[in-house]
Amino acid sequence: MANATLAARDREAWSARLKDLGFWAEWAALVGLVVLVIVFQVLNPTFLSAGNIASMLVAAAILIILAVGQTFVIATAGIDLSIASTMTLGAVAFGQAFAAGWGLPLSCLLGIVAAALVGVANGVIIARGRITDFIVTLGTLSAASGLALILADGKPVTIIDPVLLGLSTGGLGIFGWSFVIAVVVALVAHVTLFHTRFGTHLLATGGAPESATAMGISTERIKIAVYTISGTLAGLGAILLVARIGAAEPAANTSFLLNSVAAVVLGGVSLFGGRGTIIGPVIGALLLVALVNGLTLLGVSQFYQPLAVGIVVVLAALLTRFQR
Amino acid sequence: MNSKNRRAAAVGAVVALQALVLGACASGEPAGSGTRVEAAAGSGPAGQPRIAAVIKGLDNPFFQAMKQGIDDQARAGGVPVTVQAANSITDTTGQADKLNGLAGQDFSCYVVNPISGTNLIQGLARLSALNKTVVNIDSPVDPAAAKSANVKLATYIGTDNVEAGKMAGRRMTELLPSGGDVAVIGGIAGDVTSGARVEGFQQGIGPNLKVVQTVAANWERQTALTAATDVMRANPDLVGFFVANDDMGLGVARAIANSGKTGKVKVISVDGNKDALEAVKAGTLDGTVSQYPYAIGHMGVEACQAAAAGKTLPPNVKAPVEMITKDNADQALASTPKPFGTYDDPFKALIQ
Repeated sequence: MANATLAARDREAWSARLKDLGFWAEWAALVGLVVLVIVFQVLNPTFLSAGNIASMLVAAAILIILAVGQTFVIATAGIDLSIASTMTLGAVAFGQAFAAGWGLPLSCLLGIVAAALVGVANGVIIARGRITDFIVTLGTLSAASGLALILADGKPVTIIDPVLLGLSTGGLGIFGWSFVIAVVVALVAHVTLFHTRFGTHLLATGGAPESATAMGISTERIKIAVYTISGTLAGLGAILLVARIGAAEPAANTSFLLNSVAAVVLGGVSLFGGRGTIIGPVIGALLLVALVNGLTLLGVSQFYQPLAVGIVVVLAALLTRFQR
Repeated sequence: MNSKNRRAAAVGAVVALQALVLGACASGEPAGSGTRVEAAAGSGPAGQPRIAAVIKGLDNPFFQAMKQGIDDQARAGGVPVTVQAANSITDTTGQADKLNGLAGQDFSCYVVNPISGTNLIQGLARLSALNKTVVNIDSPVDPAAAKSANVKLATYIGTDNVEAGKMAGRRMTELLPSGGDVAVIGGIAGDVTSGARVEGFQQGIGPNLKVVQTVAANWERQTALTAATDVMRANPDLVGFFVANDDMGLGVARAIANSGKTGKVKVISVDGNKDALEAVKAGTLDGTVSQYPYAIGHMGVEACQAAAAGKTLPPNVKAPVEMITKDNADQALASTPKPFGTYDDPFKALIQ
């Protein structure tokens, strides 16, 4: 968003710009990522080796997709706490269908549909029932994990499929297929948010709900749409997750929920809705993955990793206060 | 599924209680489903226990096997049993609430598998005050806390996690006679079980193996996969991984396969769940130290029976552990969830 105007500015504006906290706040995630990369590269030269970049990008793919889904919801001033459990449910639905011999395409479809339905349920209850997003998705967080446990009977299903294996290990150069999928998702999301009428309505719903309603925008339909998008993307994440670990497990995946919200906040998206980017959360997700990867490469004690993640998230949140 | 079983269990318990109140021994009402355990007609000497069990979350195959062991032995012995489980492996307070709920009912023997060393202390203190038999299985109740709250435990039955880690360490040393660098993938940072296994592994490895890195992967397969990939990148000469549970072990095996190092880097994990046994058989996993939650649950019920018969229980009983390798994976798979070897069960003799 900001960089379109950036290019048009004069050179003199640069020094002023660098002194302006607002500029730094806008690009907190990118600045953080660059600083981290430099620090880790200096401390450990393998950090920027092609192999390590490739494995970081693949490890970030699922988180990027979830963060994009979360961005849509947060841009309407909502929050989807059920995103990781929805992914678990999608993975389990996929696994059960695959084990029952439905074949790959149908199983994938079922996984995505199951997750999307959770999203639809979230949206309908929030919009029509006029209940706070936080409470509703807190409820579906529990309900979706419960459904996953019931469906799977608490047991993981091992899934061995050459196509899925190729999806998780193959790719174009250093870009694994799963990362390529994540980039495509991010591009589509970017276009949807900034170059379609739906995107404008969505941001209006988040920024000024009363005005949006007065303009004739159906905020209810927008709410239902964003939660459906979030659920669908969780379903897509579920397929990548199953491909990655070779099993559909009814495990909670709590770290994905926390990291998806953290990535969005790092990306400078306002939790009050109405303003945000897609590139921000994508960089936020990359930053979180790079942070853990770098600390692991350096052999930093396991006790310091959560502390480091927490500090980075809070610092970024502090920076966003200075956004214009 | 679970709630239905639980309801059936509750109904079963109520029916059994009524029968007892009526002075009859539970005389085999037609069972509805699952957990409802019938007493064989005509059985039931005076020393018949009424058992309640509180275990960890049933979202994990390990505890499902434990429940199966409890149910099977109860059915074989013709004693009624009610099994309650926490909602998840981290639900310490929910588990305490469940025990407190059961403590108010008329059971004579409680089998408990606490999530943490202290989360059930309050309920257990109440049970000890009522002079009920408490059998501690799998995860130990913290001895200092038990002492200060006057909790009296009849016996403890569980796997020695340090020993399990040692076995893995010895096996790793056998697999890698020329030595080298190994890494450890643990559970949640600071977790007691994970810590004990890792400590045991470090004691078990020979002098020419060196642990270069320990990473916490939160018991999650995906996190373990990512961590193992990074660790291999940081230490290109790595020759082995010790992983604190099977689920993460399978993630690490996947990471090794992805980097084309299958066979070059060895993986040994702990638990012995079915998927892992199959992976050992297929050669993607180089070994797992199998524990037998089924046997632990089974012995827990036997301990209750022995206590009800007025026998003195041994204070500390070690559950069987076996090192599963490619050579015996078939045997292990065939007898799962029971151990394939023989093991020492001191309670068997007491209830003959």
